[in-house]
Amino acid sequence: MTDCICMVQAGQISAAQQEALRSATSDFAQRNFGSAANFNWVEVPEGRGFTAAKPSTSVIVSVRSDRSLAPSERVPLLHELEGIWREHSGRGPDEVVSVITDPLQ
Amino acid sequence: MPLYIVNSKAGAMPEAAKAALAETLTEIHCRVTDAPPTFVHVFFFDEAPNPPLGDKTAMVYGQIRAGRTDAQKSQIWKEMAEAVVKHAGLPADEVHAFTTDTPASWVMEGGDVLPEPGEEAEWLARHEAKMAAERASA
Repeated sequence: MTDCICMVQAGQISAAQQEALRSATSDFAQRNFGSAANFNWVEVPEGRGFTAAKPSTSVIVSVRSDRSLAPSERVPLLHELEGIWREHSGRGPDEVVSVITDPLQ
Repeated sequence: MPLYIVNSKAGAMPEAAKAALAETLTEIHCRVTDAPPTFVHVFFFDEAPNPPLGDKTAMVYGQIRAGRTDAQKSQIWKEMAEAVVKHAGLPADEVHAFTTDTPASWVMEGGDVLPEPGEEAEWLARHEAKMAAERASA
């Protein structure tokens, strides 16, 4: 399974949005890293998330690759992952943080 | 990025202190590293599995961009632990702060891969111009 951590602000993502995000992110993981996503979905409790010291509207999605990636491979994947989250979460471009990590050593 | 997780025992972190502590942690990170505040996320949790609290009452765990010096990281750990002690009223030996490094090239915000440490001003200027152009064409 492809480890995937999703951190969203409480009340920000509806159940339908979450279902769409999980489906599209898992498809992304299957296509690019060879296995479906194993989600750790974390909601930051209301009033407990801050970005730039202001109440946060940011979502953070972090997917662990199955191999070490060169920048030429990682950057297009980051764009694709961010696109998925922008499309299905309805967040603006500066509200989505996407991360693709190499495998644990 | 950075993302700072403040994990504490239930009830140990006064609700009223969280916004002020987030502001202080953001100020510390930006002053020590010259990063822009817009990069800094601070999320609070009660007894989350990560980072494990062990024998501590509160823990600050930061995932920061790789490339900071050991002196910068030591200063962040020290000042952030002191900030939690001050804002939450906890004994110093019940608070711990630490960070791990994440390569900037692994992270994208607003459609741009994050800059390496020291390249933030140029990155921000380019990024904000791009965002302004996107808003104008929307």
